Amino acid sequence: MNGSILSPFNVSHPTAIQTSLLDRASFAKFDPSGRYLATGKLDGSSSIWDLETRSAIRLLDGHVKAVTSVDWSRYSRYLLTSSRDWNVIIWDLASPFDPPQRHTTIRFDAPVVSASFHPRNSNIVLALLSTGDAFVADLRKEHRSRMELCEVYDEADESTKPRSAMTVARFDPTGKYIFIGTAAGSVLVFNSRTKSMVARHKISGAGAMRGFDFSKGGRRLVTNSSDRALRHFNLPIYPSPSSASDPLEYLDQELKPIYQFNDPINKTAWHTMSYSPEGQWLAGGAADHATHKIYIWDIVNDGQFVCTLDGGREPLIHLHWHPRKSVIASTTNQGNILIWHCPIPERWGAFAGGFEEVDENVEYHEREDEFDIEDEAETTRRKMKREEEKVDIDGFDDALMQQTTPVVAPKDDEDVAWADDEPDDDKPEWKMAIIMVEEDYL
Amino acid sequence: MINEEPTEDQKTKTEQEQPQEAQPSVAPDVEMKVPDEVKQATPQKPNYKLQYSLSGHTMSVSSLKFSPDGTMLVSAAADKLVKLWNAFTGEFMRTFEGHTLGISDVAWSGDSDYIASASDDKTIRIWSLETGSTAMTLNGHTSFVFCVNYNPNSNLLVSGGFDETVRVWDVARGRCLKVLPAHSDPVTAVGFNHDGTLVVSSAMDGLIRIWDAESGQCLKTLVDDDNPICSHVKWSPNSRFVLVSTQDSTIRLWNHQTSRCVKTYSGHVNRTFCIPACFTNVGSKCIVSGSEDAKIYIWDLQTREVLQILEGHRDVVLAVATHPTHNIIASAGMDKDLTIRLWRDSQPTS
Repeated sequence: MNGSILSPFNVSHPTAIQTSLLDRASFAKFDPSGRYLATGKLDGSSSIWDLETRSAIRLLDGHVKAVTSVDWSRYSRYLLTSSRDWNVIIWDLASPFDPPQRHTTIRFDAPVVSASFHPRNSNIVLALLSTGDAFVADLRKEHRSRMELCEVYDEADESTKPRSAMTVARFDPTGKYIFIGTAAGSVLVFNSRTKSMVARHKISGAGAMRGFDFSKGGRRLVTNSSDRALRHFNLPIYPSPSSASDPLEYLDQELKPIYQFNDPINKTAWHTMSYSPEGQWLAGGAADHATHKIYIWDIVNDGQFVCTLDGGREPLIHLHWHPRKSVIASTTNQGNILIWHCPIPERWGAFAGGFEEVDENVEYHEREDEFDIEDEAETTRRKMKREEEKVDIDGFDDALMQQTTPVVAPKDDEDVAWADDEPDDDKPEWKMAIIMVEEDYL
Repeated sequence: MINEEPTEDQKTKTEQEQPQEAQPSVAPDVEMKVPDEVKQATPQKPNYKLQYSLSGHTMSVSSLKFSPDGTMLVSAAADKLVKLWNAFTGEFMRTFEGHTLGISDVAWSGDSDYIASASDDKTIRIWSLETGSTAMTLNGHTSFVFCVNYNPNSNLLVSGGFDETVRVWDVARGRCLKVLPAHSDPVTAVGFNHDGTLVVSSAMDGLIRIWDAESGQCLKTLVDDDNPICSHVKWSPNSRFVLVSTQDSTIRLWNHQTSRCVKTYSGHVNRTFCIPACFTNVGSKCIVSGSEDAKIYIWDLQTREVLQILEGHRDVVLAVATHPTHNIIASAGMDKDLTIRLWRDSQPTS
C-alpha cells in the first residue's frame, strides 16, 4: 500500500543493514507473508521473530539435536522443523500459547537433513534423510502413506552404476514436481502425486548438488554445487505422466545453464542463494571463513554482477530473500541475523503541504492569470462540480490484490486436485495471537 | 478534549451508582416500533431511531467503539473509567478501573480480546477482556495521551498526544518502538491503514501527515488553504482516502495520493471540540458525525447531502461509532447528558 507513495525509483536490491537480531540461529527463513522469520538452532530449538516489533514471539523447543531446516505453510499457520534427532515436527501457530501446540511429529529412520511442506497442502511433507534417501509422507486420512522417491535407471547400465545419494530435495513452487539433487551432479524431477520420475537432467561439471532455489513462478531454478558455481536454468515443461504410459519412461536431457556465477578470484564456495521476489536479482551468500559477503547479480541484465554487500566480521552461513520486499536476512556464524534493506532517503519536503522538491533550479514562468482575482462564486461552483465525481472508498486496486494471491495453477489439473484433496486448516484469514509478556518479566 | 478533573463529589457518586448499572437502564424507546407502512418509500435513505439509552458514566463520554466482532461497545469517559456494553441489547457488561485521570480515546484489538485506552495520566493501558484487568501499561508520553489505535495485526499500537509526538508501541512487550516528532501542536488522531504500512496523524496545527509505518519517515503532508484545527482523521476502508474533521464545522474527504479534497460535508457545528466522523459499514455509504448543537448528522457519501439528523442528546455529541455489520450508531457526549444512545435503522438493507 505504501508503495504508491514511496518513490518507485528507489526500489532496488538491499544495500545496507537495517537491524540485527540476536538469536544463536544457524539459519533464518521468512514466512510467505514476510511478517515473520523462523530460525533453527543447534540446540534443537527454533524461534519465531515478528519483524514489525523485532522481537522473538515464540520459542519452539521440541528437538534434542540440531534443527536442520524449517518450512512455513502457505498462510504461515503451520511451521515445520526438521532435526538430526530423526524427527520432523509440525507446529500449529494458531494455538494461543507459547510454546505453541505440536500438530504432528513424524519420525524417520535417520537424521533428517531437510524437510518441506507441499506448497498447497501442509499434510504432505517431503523429507530428505542423511542416508541420501528422500521420502514423501502423506498425513491425509485417505492418502496416508510414506513413499520413497526412487531414481529410475536405464536397464542397460542399472547393474554397472551404483545408486547415487540424494543431497537436495525440494518441491517446486507449484507443488506439482519434486526436484532432487544427487551427489552425482544430476537433477531428478519427480511427479508429486504419482512419485514417478519424469525427468533426469545431467548438469555437466557441477559435482554434488548442494542447494536449489526457485523463482516465484517455478520456471527458473538456481543450483549450488560442489564445483563452487551457482547455475541459473530455465526449466522445460514436463509432460504429465499418464497412468497408461510406461512408469519407467522419463525425459533424459542435459540442462545448459543460462548463467553461471562464480567467484573467479577467491574461488569461494556458496552457502545459499536466493532469488528476489520478482526474480530480478539473485543473492549468493559466500562461504568465506573470514568475512560476511553477499553477492548480488542482476538476472534481467544478462546476469551481470552488481555488487557485494559486506556484513562485517562474522562469516555468513545462510541467507534468505524476503518474499515481497527488497529485504534479505543473513545469518552469521555467531547466530546473529542481519536484516538488510534498501534505505529510502528522507524527503524533508514531505513535511510541508503541497511542496515539491526539484533536483535542479527551474525557471518559473508565471501564468497570465496567476494572480487574477477570481469570482468566488465561480470557484465554489467549480469546486462543487468537481466534488460530484463518485468516490470508491471500499474497492482495492487489482494490482495490489494480485500481490497477495499465491501462485495460481490451473483448476482442472489432476496434480492440483490431488494436492487440494483433504485441505489443511491453513486459511488466509487466521491471525497469530499476540501474547503479552507479563509485566513482572520485563 | 475533556480536561476538567473530577471532584471528589462526583467520584463518590460513581461508586454509589455502581450497583444501579448492574441492571442497566435499558429504555427501549416507544418510537422504535414503527409500523411497516410508515416506512419510507426510498429504502436507501437512512431511518435511524433511538433504541436504547445507556447510563453509567458520571462525566463526559469521550470515545465509543464497537468491537470488530460486533458484539460489544466500549465507552471511555472523563470519569477515568472504561465501560463495556452489549452492542445489541445495551446491557452493561463490565467496568475497567485503573487510570488516574480522564480518558480520551479507546481502541479494540482485531480479535476483540483487548482494549487500549489513552488517558490524561500520560499512559495507555491495555485491558484484557479475559481477566478484566490491565494487561499492560505503556509509559512514555510526556503529556496527555489523546488518541490510540491498533494496527491490523494488533501487534503494534500507535498513539498521539499533547506532547506533540506520535509513538509506535510493541504491544506484546509494552516497549515504545518509535517516537515521531510529528507535529507542532497536540496530536488529535492517529491510525494505521488497512495493511498497516502507513500511519496518518492529524493535529491542532491543522496538518494531516502520512508516515511510513516501518521507517517512521514522513511521506506526505495534507493541508487546507485556511489551515483550520484538525480534530480527527480516519482512513477509508480501502485506505485510498482520509476523512478529516476540522474545527471550521467541515468534514473533508481527501485523496491522499493526489493531495486533493474530493468531498466536503457541512451543516453541523464543530468549532471547539475534537469530534470524530466515521463511515457507515452497511448498505449505502454514509458519513456520521456528532455536532456541538447536540445532534448527530448523517450525510450521503457521494451526494454530500444531509440525509438524517438524529436529535435527542442534550449536550455536545463528542463520540459516535458505527457498528461493523448492522445499521447501529452509538453516540454520547458532554456531561449535561451522560447517556450513551444506541440508534438503529431497522429497514431491511438492500
